[in-house]
Amino acid sequence: MAVAQGAPRRGALVSFKIPRGRAASLSLYVARRILWLIPVLFFVITITFVLMHFAPGSPWDREGKQLSAAVIRNLNAKYGLNEPFLAQYVRYLVNVAHFDFGLSFQYEDQPVSSLILKSWPPTAVIGLLAFVMIVIFGIGIGVVAALRQNTWVDYAVVGFSTIGASTPAFVLGIILIIIFSVTLYRITGGNFSLPTGGFALDQHLILPVVTLATLPIAFIARLTRASTLEVLRQDYIRTAWAKGLRERLVVTKHVLKNSLIPVVSALGPTFAVLITGSVIVESVFAIPGIGRAFVVAVGSRDYPMILATTILFSVVVALANLVVDLLYTVIDPRVRLG
Amino acid sequence: MAAATAVSLEQIDWENPEQIGLWQDAWQRFRRNPIAVAGLIFVCLLLLDALVAPLLVSLHLIADPLKQNAANSYAGFSLQHPFGTDYLGRDLLSRVMFGARISLTIGLTVQVIYLLIGGTIGLTAGYSGGRVDNLLMRFVDIWYAFPDLLFLLVVVSIFQPSLFVIFGAIGIIGWVDLARLIRGQVLSLKEKEFVEGARAAGSGPTKIILRHLLPNTLGPIIVSLTFGIPRAIFLEATLSYLGVGIPPPTPSWGIMIQDGNQAIFAYPHQVLVPALALAITMLSFSFIGDGLRDAIDPRMRR
Amino acid sequence: MDDSVARFRWLRVPALLTVVGLLVAACGNSAPTTSNLASDQSLRVNNGVEPNSLDPGQEQYDYEGAIGASISEALLKIKPDLSDAAPATASSYNVSSDGLTWTFHIRSNAKWSDGKPVTGADFVYAWQRILDPRLAAPYADPFFDGSIKGADNYANLDPVKDAAKIPDFLNGLGLSAPDASTFVVKLQAPAPYFKWIASLWMSAPVRKDVVEQYGSDKWATSPTSLITNGQFKVSEMVSKDHITLVPNTNYWGGAPTLTKIVNYEISDDNQAYAKYLNGELDIVNVPLANTDLVKNDPKLSKEIKFVPQLTLFWMDFNTRKAPFNNPKARLAFSKAVDRDSLAKNVGKGRWSAADFFIPKGMNGYRPDLGKSQEFDAAAAKTMLTQAVGDPSKITIDFLIRNSTANKQIGEFLADQLQTNLGVKVNQVVIDSKTVTTRLRKHDYQLYVGGWGADYPDDQDWFDIWMTGSGNVFGGYSNPDYDALVKKADIEPDAKKRQDYYDQAQKILIDDAGGGFLYQRNYMMLAKPYVQGLTTTAQDFSTVGDWFWGKVSIAQH
Repeated sequence: MAVAQGAPRRGALVSFKIPRGRAASLSLYVARRILWLIPVLFFVITITFVLMHFAPGSPWDREGKQLSAAVIRNLNAKYGLNEPFLAQYVRYLVNVAHFDFGLSFQYEDQPVSSLILKSWPPTAVIGLLAFVMIVIFGIGIGVVAALRQNTWVDYAVVGFSTIGASTPAFVLGIILIIIFSVTLYRITGGNFSLPTGGFALDQHLILPVVTLATLPIAFIARLTRASTLEVLRQDYIRTAWAKGLRERLVVTKHVLKNSLIPVVSALGPTFAVLITGSVIVESVFAIPGIGRAFVVAVGSRDYPMILATTILFSVVVALANLVVDLLYTVIDPRVRLG
Repeated sequence: MAAATAVSLEQIDWENPEQIGLWQDAWQRFRRNPIAVAGLIFVCLLLLDALVAPLLVSLHLIADPLKQNAANSYAGFSLQHPFGTDYLGRDLLSRVMFGARISLTIGLTVQVIYLLIGGTIGLTAGYSGGRVDNLLMRFVDIWYAFPDLLFLLVVVSIFQPSLFVIFGAIGIIGWVDLARLIRGQVLSLKEKEFVEGARAAGSGPTKIILRHLLPNTLGPIIVSLTFGIPRAIFLEATLSYLGVGIPPPTPSWGIMIQDGNQAIFAYPHQVLVPALALAITMLSFSFIGDGLRDAIDPRMRR
Repeated sequence: MDDSVARFRWLRVPALLTVVGLLVAACGNSAPTTSNLASDQSLRVNNGVEPNSLDPGQEQYDYEGAIGASISEALLKIKPDLSDAAPATASSYNVSSDGLTWTFHIRSNAKWSDGKPVTGADFVYAWQRILDPRLAAPYADPFFDGSIKGADNYANLDPVKDAAKIPDFLNGLGLSAPDASTFVVKLQAPAPYFKWIASLWMSAPVRKDVVEQYGSDKWATSPTSLITNGQFKVSEMVSKDHITLVPNTNYWGGAPTLTKIVNYEISDDNQAYAKYLNGELDIVNVPLANTDLVKNDPKLSKEIKFVPQLTLFWMDFNTRKAPFNNPKARLAFSKAVDRDSLAKNVGKGRWSAADFFIPKGMNGYRPDLGKSQEFDAAAAKTMLTQAVGDPSKITIDFLIRNSTANKQIGEFLADQLQTNLGVKVNQVVIDSKTVTTRLRKHDYQLYVGGWGADYPDDQDWFDIWMTGSGNVFGGYSNPDYDALVKKADIEPDAKKRQDYYDQAQKILIDDAGGGFLYQRNYMMLAKPYVQGLTTTAQDFSTVGDWFWGKVSIAQH
């Protein structure tokens, strides 16, 4: 995931030029960005809908005993699958506008929106915890490494971030399971180990959160370190040292504010990483969240579920980017919204 | 760009000044980076392994990765099977070695696709500017709005997975970064004098793009491609792990990890062996990419 | 009187009492006591997957039956040894002499979980509902529309276009309740196996007023509206996590010992296994890869429960395409697979090799019929060459569902066929739904199919190989086989019936309609404190889950 510094982020527009006063331009900017969501979503929905529809296989094909032709005909009627493609497409768009995502094909008669709501909490809990960890540890060790450049602390951090950024999440997750569940279990004679999976608000959270957060932490740490090093080289920091100010003061008052600017802008794509990461982590740790629901839905041709989840993910990513961009303008007064 | 080597004034041959090209300069800097070199060595070994593995099998130096021996499944480390055997008694060492072929093939081939698609779009957008640029970049943004793994899952499970489909899908999704990069490079180079000179001399746009712009943007492109390789390898392994990867009996690291996962309690080495192979490979490419970037762009030095 | 003794006189009674008390306590421990039961009578098992529906009319999968069979009770219930269907909600039944009318007498004390009595009308309503095309009930065909009088028109009714005709269709079915405690079924043809259909958990009664109050789609989704008539009822449903059952206090058969059953929905076998090891589950499936580990473990090996399942798996040949249109070629393929290696090495001993069709545990189990498909690599190759020529010129498209278990079997089989016959096998591993689509379109050559008994009667098995069946995709058709099975299905004399089925099975095996491979067994671990576990060959997700009413938890 090599995002070159300064490159535009997912979902962001390339350039806007808004000439007026700051507050007005801010709200205009927000409005435009939200409006921009609509064509993006439209595109996403259309592509997914078309793909799903022309995919081979129907949702009623089962493993084992087959449904008879009569039953299948009845099911198709029930879900409106007999109608021509365009009719289904238009109907779907209209429903989505009313936040009605239809009934799931796999869990018959359950509305997709309620299924998503049920799967939402584990993903949100793990994602938020991971995000907090990313912010605290990612930035923290990046700054420390920069301040202690070329010491063992620095090497340790750089080493960790290189390895962390290159290890696939599922490999890391599996290795952690082997160490902390299987081996720990054997060593302690069955008395202590971390769970191999499942979701609960206790030690079940440790391994999944660590796995999910590692790659973004590695990346943010490197970015923070590089950016902090840049700032540390600046003249005004040298002046601060020369003036004899204490390190902690210098860091918090001058360095951080400036070095965090590119880091904040990188937090946006971090959301996209958290989402794709959640798919993997939830599969490795068998967590009943949205990521796994998506994988299962893809496998069982649960069209409504796939469509709804895809839309949800795109919206989350786009909104996250919007928030980050706004934060960016707040932090860096030099930035004009463009 | 001349290299800053220490020479005394007498040594300088003023008639024929020593010139070191960009690439030699970069190579010298790269060579001095031990981690990058380690990565390069590993990748070279991997390449060697990928090319030579079938030969080794025919010479009976390593086992046939497809040869089953169900009675000897899940064996541990032994002289005959240095990494043990899998659930059907197949030798893990040779399976890992053959898995490298798949990973490298995908990693490298996909970069070609990236270059073709991303390169074309980036070059066109950067050079044309104006409306065309705007349109293309809007298209890129929309394409970018989709989380890549999810799109990949959807595409690959619809069009039944084969090597070709997986290449295509990974390639179609990941070219965006390269396109942006190239466009940025082209934009900054467009106004430089040598381009104006070429235009004044009457060269058409294609010629300008290919002969003048492209070679100068090569540095960052190569770095981007180098980082793209582990990304592609990772995506293929993830697809295989999630069950929509390359069909059997071809061994791929992702499939081996998925298979080994079943036995994680009883025989952890089933999973560890391919997992480590995957991690070290990705790591090596990242080291190389870092090293290249540092070597090519002096500003990015540590 | 001595003053010293008199002083202690007041101690006499308490001392006596103490001695008596001690004696009683000492004896009490050696006397047989009813309370070695744990104070917490809850059982925790793993169902694996969240049920799509607990509505009897909508259920079809094992992980639904695992709960459905405990909360809903049909007219009859299988006996643990599967020899017969015993009375359940119906206390008795009689069949008319022509075999066409079955009269069930419903217990007077059979009650729903809300206290109302179970009536014949509840059964009429439930069975009509299953045959209502608008419900699209998965089990309507062939169990109900193939047996009940007037139901054979089910396949022709379109739920939307023929909506007006449906009420007449339903009222015209051979279902009636002449009074509250009687339920009468008229059949299309005599069917000795009908008692098994009456014991299917999907044939359980359904309350019309509940369905109408809460809606056909919704009444089974929440514990308050899920009114059922079984020994247990649902008290809690937490999506993707667990479903809890508690005893139905209104059940006619008295209270079970268990006070709670928690069905978890842990899809990963290794995770469930880990939970068993640290005491969070009481019964669990042993993941295939861990089989040897468990067998060699001194403690765990004593907790193993090995139960045959009424399942059988075979190589499904597409008889419409060469080379499988040639019976000798099919037979050659069947002889080319080392089933013992498959069962012992790939299946780790959990599978039983089978070169015949009816599995162990069924009345029609005849292992000796399988001689013609016995493994013999050399003979197989010769037979194939004689039948269709040079094997190395043959390429087979082998369709495999992409789950790990299916892939493992597929890889083994492909290797066996390539090594032993010299043919080339293309493993086409794709997702489950697409596999089924291609099967329906007959776009394949080889596939591993299987069957699991719906009920322990041969009829459920033999019908699938008849010409035109929708459950076997290969298009196998043999008129002799069809004739024998048709005769057997309606034959009232048990011995003659079995004889017809045996003959049919021999034809099937010799003709290699399928290349029969193996039967599955359950290998599970159950904590030693789980007592009264009654296993059957028709268990759903957990061994003993047909008869939770007999289970109790000992102190531990």
